[in-house]
Amino acid sequence: MVSPRLASRTWSIEGMVDVVTARRCGLKTALSLGFSTPEATKIAVVISELGRNILLYAERGLITVSPHSDTLPYIEIIAQDHGPGIEDVERVLAGGYTTSGGLGKGVSGSRRLMDEFEIETAVGEGTKIRAVKRLYRRR
Amino acid sequence: MFMDDDFTDDAMSGVASTIQKLEDLLLVTVPRDLMDDQVLSLRREVVKHIRLYNSLWVLLDFSQVDICDSYFGRFIQSMANMVRLTGARVIISGLQDAVIETMVELGMTLPDVRAVLDLDEALAMSRTNGKVDADTSETELAELSFLDSSTFDFFEV
Ligand SMILES: Nc1ncnc2c1ncn2[C@@H]1O[C@H](COP(=O)(O)OP(=O)(O)O)[C@@H](O)[C@H]1O
Ligand SMILES: [Mg+2]
Repeated sequence: MVSPRLASRTWSIEGMVDVVTARRCGLKTALSLGFSTPEATKIAVVISELGRNILLYAERGLITVSPHSDTLPYIEIIAQDHGPGIEDVERVLAGGYTTSGGLGKGVSGSRRLMDEFEIETAVGEGTKIRAVKRLYRRR
Repeated sequence: MFMDDDFTDDAMSGVASTIQKLEDLLLVTVPRDLMDDQVLSLRREVVKHIRLYNSLWVLLDFSQVDICDSYFGRFIQSMANMVRLTGARVIISGLQDAVIETMVELGMTLPDVRAVLDLDEALAMSRTNGKVDADTSETELAELSFLDSSTFDFFEV
């Protein structure tokens, strides 16, 4: 079944309310695209983690959620900001590293929850994270 | 007038979090999209109500929660730690399967499965174990031991 054309959406992230709105919409979008509840939940949690990071470390930024209802449907999340950037990406991806007294599981955990996960970051310039989850897993 | 059952309304989703007394148990219904400032006030209210009712057990009901990120996981943990410090015991209920699965993949350690109970089970447990001293009943308890020991501090979420 091909789902009706789902629109890509971008949220300006400036407060927790925006994060909540984005993750709720992401959950719905994922469900409409055909993701199961657990898989859609993971997508929503990733939006939440990346959104919180934007608030916490960059103050503001953008999150775009794009559903692709092609023959191999997938959902793409792009989180970008012009904040301080990440100095040690490897350490952040390894998990357990935090500069804010958090758990340090947001980025590393999000990578596990998604099928593709890329970080583009430069100190003093900002951060762009692209994450993809496919409806059908590659075997 | 003192309101027992109403504590706060979640403006976003219209879902209220409530604190209710049920025998020796304090039932805390955690709202769906808890805002950071609500986290602090909810924790304060819970402790206040434990004192008020001398509650021996606190049931944290997460059945309304469908999106649980690592901050929320930390909230669950800090809430449980704080309840324990009052001398009451923690039971959690209503964690949805999708939420549990996501938390595990995120890298949060989940509590013993016995933590996941419904209200009837929680009440039965508090009736059976409520008056027993902490040592003997501890093994029966839904131990909420999220994460590592380093995180067993007080969190200001
Ligand atoms: N958008 C961002 N801009 C700058 N630094 C970031 C950003 N996102 C994450 N970081 C850095 O990566 C670390 C780990 O992030 P994360 O895994 O989400 O854990 P936590 O937020 O709990 O610290 C953060 O403490 C922060 O130093
Ligand atoms: Mg984070």
